Amino acid sequence: MDADKEIPVGSFSGTLPQLLLAQAARFGSEQAAIREKAYGIWQTYHWEDYLRYVKHVGLGLIALGFRRGESAGLITDNHPEWLFAELGTQAVGGITLNLFTSAVADELKTSLNRLRASFVFAQDQEQVDKMIASRAGLGHVRHVIYIDPTGMRSYKKDPWLISFRELLEKGEKLDQQRPDLFTAELRQGRPEDTALLIQTSGTTGMPKMAMLSHRNLTAMGESWVRAISIRPGENWISISPPAWIVDQMWGLGVALQGGMTMNFPETPETVQEDFREIGPSRIITASRFWEELASRIRVRMADAGFLKRFLFAQAERVGLSVADRQVRGKTITPALKFLHRLAALIVYRPLLDRIGCANFLSAYTGGHPISPDVITFFRAIGLNLKQCYGLTEAGGIFQIQPDEEVKLETVGKPLPGVQVRIAEDQEVLVSSRAVFQGYHQDYQATEAAFVDGWLRTGDAGYLDHDGHLLIIGRKEEIIRTKSGEAFSPDFIETRLKFSPFIKEAVIFGEGRPCLTAMINIDFGNTGNWAEQKMIPYTTYLDLSQQRAVEDLILAEIRKVNEPLPEVMKIHKFILLYKLLDADEDELTRTGKVRRRFVYGLYLRLIEAMYSGEEEVRVKGKIRYRDGQTGEIDTCVRVIQAL
Amino acid sequence: MKAFRGQPSIYEKSDSTPRRAELEIRGLTLHFGGVKVLSDIDMSVRSGELFAVIGPNGAGKTSLLNCITGFYRPQQGTILFNGEGIAHLHPHELVRVGIGRTFQNIELFPGMTVLSNLFLARHTHCDYGLGPACLFLPSVRREEMRHRRILEEIIDFLEIHALRNKPVGSLPYGMMKRVELGRALALEPALLVLDEPFAGMNLEEKEDMVRFLLELNRAWGQTMILVEHDMAIVMSIAQRIAVLNFGDKLTEGTPDEIIRHPEVIRAYLGDEETI
Repeated sequence: MDADKEIPVGSFSGTLPQLLLAQAARFGSEQAAIREKAYGIWQTYHWEDYLRYVKHVGLGLIALGFRRGESAGLITDNHPEWLFAELGTQAVGGITLNLFTSAVADELKTSLNRLRASFVFAQDQEQVDKMIASRAGLGHVRHVIYIDPTGMRSYKKDPWLISFRELLEKGEKLDQQRPDLFTAELRQGRPEDTALLIQTSGTTGMPKMAMLSHRNLTAMGESWVRAISIRPGENWISISPPAWIVDQMWGLGVALQGGMTMNFPETPETVQEDFREIGPSRIITASRFWEELASRIRVRMADAGFLKRFLFAQAERVGLSVADRQVRGKTITPALKFLHRLAALIVYRPLLDRIGCANFLSAYTGGHPISPDVITFFRAIGLNLKQCYGLTEAGGIFQIQPDEEVKLETVGKPLPGVQVRIAEDQEVLVSSRAVFQGYHQDYQATEAAFVDGWLRTGDAGYLDHDGHLLIIGRKEEIIRTKSGEAFSPDFIETRLKFSPFIKEAVIFGEGRPCLTAMINIDFGNTGNWAEQKMIPYTTYLDLSQQRAVEDLILAEIRKVNEPLPEVMKIHKFILLYKLLDADEDELTRTGKVRRRFVYGLYLRLIEAMYSGEEEVRVKGKIRYRDGQTGEIDTCVRVIQAL
Repeated sequence: MKAFRGQPSIYEKSDSTPRRAELEIRGLTLHFGGVKVLSDIDMSVRSGELFAVIGPNGAGKTSLLNCITGFYRPQQGTILFNGEGIAHLHPHELVRVGIGRTFQNIELFPGMTVLSNLFLARHTHCDYGLGPACLFLPSVRREEMRHRRILEEIIDFLEIHALRNKPVGSLPYGMMKRVELGRALALEPALLVLDEPFAGMNLEEKEDMVRFLLELNRAWGQTMILVEHDMAIVMSIAQRIAVLNFGDKLTEGTPDEIIRHPEVIRAYLGDEETI
């Protein structure tokens, strides 16, 4: 391969901080390693700077008494400090665990306790306050290092708290006193050491902590660099939370290995704008990102003037027919080719540029099955969107669709160095150097995760005749109705959620005679629709119980029902009066529905759909974002869809 | 890196030792024709203080602020700022003296972006001439970059990054108030005068604003006078409070003294007999 000449793939065996050292020697102050938007402009950190900050964090920790084999918790947002803190800790033999900044104090305490973290990196005052709130239960935490100094003036007297700036200064001082210390520490690291832990989202029960070694991540990086020929200086934009596998795998694995530039947006609110300025070349995000982008484009197009609407419709038609022919392997006529080029010039390029997607060499969607309609839509407008598949325990994403063989329903082929096979019970099994070391302090779960040395993914699937993997759904989520017919709720929910008016859908039917659904309307889009129809409404609750909205959703459900086989059709549904919320444990932090929990919580409503009631009176408490509680008293109607 | 941000450079030197802002008001009287708005008000604000003025509707709070910031001319009395009489000065001259303010009903330019609105506040700090500005000489360029940096630090502090290039007219009310605070800060005032900074805000916006004001005052020693209706907020953040009622000053003191003062209770809750 050509890429092999430029990138030292396969030649590296060491820890992640050792890899950073090698890349800093290679790129020095020539190439940008990290960019962060601050004060309205992109600030660049070269590879040398990257190494220097990591060194100072590591030595700073030693100055504060950190010992090899100890661990640190990171509660940070997407900023360069995250990488500095994480690699700095690992450089001096520490193990890291990233936690969600949106987690409540108790969740954080539980995780840090299980890890017995001796240091915590906290993003800002908000996170520090959570630490202080559970300080009594965090006896093992010797220091909390806060990154953003805003609002921290009044905490200055507390020796438990140390600023990131002070940590760097301590590290710098120690480096001057003992200039060989860092290299000596770095050398002690071995590739098979545990580098980091990642909490798996855990749709059922308590989250588990997967241990990934340095080798797991470097192997993953290698596979990716090789598979899609990543070149130094390509851009990645860091927008998914560091507590999630995707940015860990990319930031520490692929970007380090491939010499890519990590770009950090200014704030979560400016992502759209910053995204466009960077024009990243590679992206992996949750299917939700693409679904929202597609629906945003559609809504904006619907509001556009006649000419734009007309051109867009024509261009989309051309694109769809080209994409369709490509998938079926049919030839594209010269006339169609010409129209496609024209459409690209007039519509696709400007549109993709507007949403910051013009520079993509490859774009992937994962985490959750995506509706084929969304993928087709993006491929039709010239964005090379493909599906991928992976899991935390396998070190990240290990299945991608190759460029020339895109099939809408599959998740493609394994990366180089990864083996995949299907067990007798249809479970997907995987084996590679990136497969994790086991769950932290959970021998039983670790045993259960493997079969004959292969990692069990927990997903059911099969390989088609071209060797592409097809995922049906979670093995334990394949549900049977009363008559014993199997269906995948996820499969139906995904299709429902492609409607711009449906935010979330939950399908029920286990051991029941037929399927029913609970729907969360999309407040923004449905609200806009209601305004256009001159339907007055006040709150989410009010809007969700409007007759006109019920009819609107009914039409959407009938549309989804139509192509589905008889057993998978939705018979009845209700519109829930509130949004499912991660703060109330109804969703996981990554936005997946906790099906069984939701089932138990709304059993009364679900029973009503099966017992033939037409209306259910609901009384209950709801909790607002600011912590206040309110009473609700409303009637939820059961709507017939068949 | 966020770790190196957090404190705008315009506050760097002060480092919680406040810039001098001694305000002394003696015998201030203001009337519009036969209507007496303020009568014989005495009041003083010390450097580094967060001083609040409260009172029922029509008590003369905003009129008092307008006298301090040169919008109204009092008929009697003196206003001394750092020992200098300022009652005769115009608003733009007061800015040079070191008094910056926000307004009860937002006074921004709705058609201009947030950044342009903030830039307006910097023109008193520009010291290049017309000629070099026309040629956009390197010295001018450097100066402009210095101003932009100061504004960006304020944007960072007030967490309005996403609004930078949005026209002010398209923003929600609470955000406009924040931008107005930003513009007042960009003046680098020694004394910051805030007229109802919390009016029309929801709970979250109020919490944010409290956070900003506390950081400004407690950490960086910004002297402030604020007029406000939300008693809970005033009582928890102000160091001293003056109470006005129908143009008279009822009392002045710490929040604890004010909350127990019988006159204040009567002015706010009415007479016991009428309850």
